[in-house]
Amino acid sequence: MKRIFDTQLIGPFAAMVIVALIVALTTERFLNPGNLSNLSLQVSIVALIAIGSTMVIFTAGIDLSSGSMVALLTMILAQMLKFMGIPLMLALPMILIVGGLLGLFIGLITAYGRIPSFITTLAALIAFRGLALTFNNGSPIFSLDPALEPIFYGKLAGIPLPFFYLVFFYGLAAFVMNFTKLGREIYAVGGNPAAAVLTGINVRKVQTTTFVIAGFMTAVGAILMSARLNSGSPNYGQTLELQAIAAAVVGGASLAGGRGNILATLMGAMTIVIVQNGLNLNAAPSSVQNIVLGLIILLAVGIDMWRAEISALMGRIFGRSSSGSAQKVKKGV
Amino acid sequence: MTTATPLWEFVDISKAYPGVLANDKVRIKLLPGSIHGLLGENGCGKSTMIKTLSGVQQPDSGQILHNGQPVTISDPQVARDHGIATVFQEFSIVPTLSVGENIFLGNMPRSRFGVIDWAKVHSEAARVLAEMDVDVSPDAITGTLSVGEQQLVEIAKAVAMDARMIILDEPTAALGEDEIERLHQLLRNMRGRGTSILYVSHRLDEVERIVDEVTILRGGKVVRASGETEINVSEIVSAMVGEDIGEHYPKEQNATAEVVMEAHGLATASGVTDASFALHRGEVLGLGGVLGSGRTEIARALFGTDELSAGQLILNGKPVRFRREMDAIRAGLALVPENRKYDGLFFNFRASGNITAASLGGLSRLGVLNLKAEEQATHDLIRDLEISTQAEEKTVNFLSGGNQQKIVIARWLFSDSDILILDEPTQGIDIGAKIAVYKLINKLTRAGKSIILISSDHDELLAMSDRIAIVQHGAITRTVEASDLTHDDLVRASADTTETNLEEVFA
Ligand SMILES: Nc1ncnc2c1ncn2[C@@H]1O[C@H](COP(=O)(O)OP(=O)(O)OP(=O)(O)O)[C@@H](O)[C@H]1O
Ligand SMILES: [Mg+2]
Repeated sequence: MKRIFDTQLIGPFAAMVIVALIVALTTERFLNPGNLSNLSLQVSIVALIAIGSTMVIFTAGIDLSSGSMVALLTMILAQMLKFMGIPLMLALPMILIVGGLLGLFIGLITAYGRIPSFITTLAALIAFRGLALTFNNGSPIFSLDPALEPIFYGKLAGIPLPFFYLVFFYGLAAFVMNFTKLGREIYAVGGNPAAAVLTGINVRKVQTTTFVIAGFMTAVGAILMSARLNSGSPNYGQTLELQAIAAAVVGGASLAGGRGNILATLMGAMTIVIVQNGLNLNAAPSSVQNIVLGLIILLAVGIDMWRAEISALMGRIFGRSSSGSAQKVKKGV
Repeated sequence: MTTATPLWEFVDISKAYPGVLANDKVRIKLLPGSIHGLLGENGCGKSTMIKTLSGVQQPDSGQILHNGQPVTISDPQVARDHGIATVFQEFSIVPTLSVGENIFLGNMPRSRFGVIDWAKVHSEAARVLAEMDVDVSPDAITGTLSVGEQQLVEIAKAVAMDARMIILDEPTAALGEDEIERLHQLLRNMRGRGTSILYVSHRLDEVERIVDEVTILRGGKVVRASGETEINVSEIVSAMVGEDIGEHYPKEQNATAEVVMEAHGLATASGVTDASFALHRGEVLGLGGVLGSGRTEIARALFGTDELSAGQLILNGKPVRFRREMDAIRAGLALVPENRKYDGLFFNFRASGNITAASLGGLSRLGVLNLKAEEQATHDLIRDLEISTQAEEKTVNFLSGGNQQKIVIARWLFSDSDILILDEPTQGIDIGAKIAVYKLINKLTRAGKSIILISSDHDELLAMSDRIAIVQHGAITRTVEASDLTHDDLVRASADTTETNLEEVFA
């Protein structure tokens, strides 16, 4: 437990709480039960996709493809349900598999073709959106299946289902990152790829695996997106990839790889969504929302970069820790 | 000498890091025209002191006097303005730039129009390198040089500044005997010109040869001050460690007749021309040779990093072909690389993650890691190798150089490889830790593992190897019993044919 809830979570958690407090104090309707359950709906899609984006970032890669992949997958799902008569219970797992395969494809080209992931996923960002347009002459497909909507809007014991998806997938992701060989290898590859090779870690396989996970989680997000609007559209998911990356960064993941906590990404996503929600409730135009989002990312990275300076400053303000602690560390073990 | 005014005087310098008091009221006086040794075990605070003196960090308390006047060295530029040049323990060269650019990084010669004067960069760099007797082109890309050559470039940076005070933090860790001798000559020349030199090294034999005065630190405090200590290795060692150390090289004979690995005429594009040898179970086979002779390249060839262009490797009687490192690791080989910073450590991990990185498969069941076992193994190894216990709590970037090196070795002790290639395993670690590594070598060979040892420290190589293969220009010219060889033989044998033309090597 100590492992999962380490000190890396304190910053992102504090940021989330502070942002929530500010919004709660300035906006009456923020704490309405209706708004709160709305929040967990809003955060769910981006937060689930961000699991994959974060793992890719941990290996020092980047995934720009998820937004377009969402559009493509909603169109494929819509096609299956509406025009191909494939039953929902079959279509959903198929979408998850397609997502994983698209991720595999990107991962293989990146890792074995030795092309930087920034390039491969940028290419995918453009190409997937194009592919999405080839379905149904580029028009959205509506009213897919009445059984689809409850996946997003359904409730269990009064709690929206997406809340449970978040708990499940983030629980799983935290387990993988902290308790499994794969998780350790992901951090190792991001920390020092040259050393990883010399210790016998299959760097390419690890990189590819993170893209498969990213593709799979994007498919989960795409299913929720379709369920939310009971439709598929080539226009869905615009800038979703950037929001997912922003969630990871606000959560403290280092773009240089090797450092970060997957649960912090959830807090990063929450922070972003709370700000958006606050601005929405105050009827701020979307231009303002984008500017604020940009500033948050800058601030989060800045705080991370200036950590040493900030703690030195805190030290000066609140008094230095006595050098007696040196002895404590030595005796600790 | 003792009456001369110190050029620099450091009074009661203290510096704490979170959880450690790395320097505790350290006092050092540096006289002009004198080489001052700063010695002590790993983690005793030498590099910390040096960082403070060169303006990289500020002391928590204490005073710095320059010619008797208090000064503040607020950043590295101020240090440079005061005539202080520093060669840091961790390289500060830019691998993608040329040697000349690195030498003048930060103060490039410029022409009248403010444009960089490349002709001057080239000629000045060439002059400095020639003064140092270093055979490297100013136009070579620094990252393509060997670690030893990079170290020389690092030193050339300080020489080019023509400083009044030079600080060297383990400058010889990656150098061979030849280069060390040349560096010493250079330092003696500078001393003759009145330069103050502060010198950190774990090679006590060279300390004895070159240093005029010593200050010894233990646990951040000065235990012997300048002028107080005779410059005598055993006395220095007991002051450093706080107790007497017996045998420096506790060699055990564990070699058997059984051959585990055979190499026949190995060659690679990276410079191995003809390497043949047989390695026995329980044996330590030393590779002796000068810097750049191809020892590291032979290691890379054995480990599958560089593809063989000719030759055959036989493991336990079966021919094998390693296409990448992973194949070699699966077959039971391990490589402790020469450059721990770039090839060895995961700076985002604590000791545990670093130690188990090569054994994750054995440590997990169905992909789930046994973290308890990991914690226990880490704890044991930290105890056995006398690694700083901070390593359990902190990521390894906070550890001193010597502790980092021990962690890289610990990784391969923990893995169950049968053949270990140790490339400069004791580089930059203190005498206590060196002996710990030697004992580990014994423990490994006793358990039937075999070791290929690469070391530029001739005494160590002679004492710890059973046999020594002499490497020249990428070829193993002969293999002899270590006991039949003296220090001088080895120096001569490995230098023998330095006259043969170099083109062959790079052909
Ligand atoms: N940036 C840092 N943050 C926290 N602790 C540090 C930092 N740098 C060094 N330390 C700690 O300070 C102590 C002194 O380290 P230092 O690097 O000065 O040792 P050293 O004498 O140079 O050792 P070595 O011979 O191994 O190079 C060690 O306990 C080390 O772990
Ligand atoms: Mg040091």
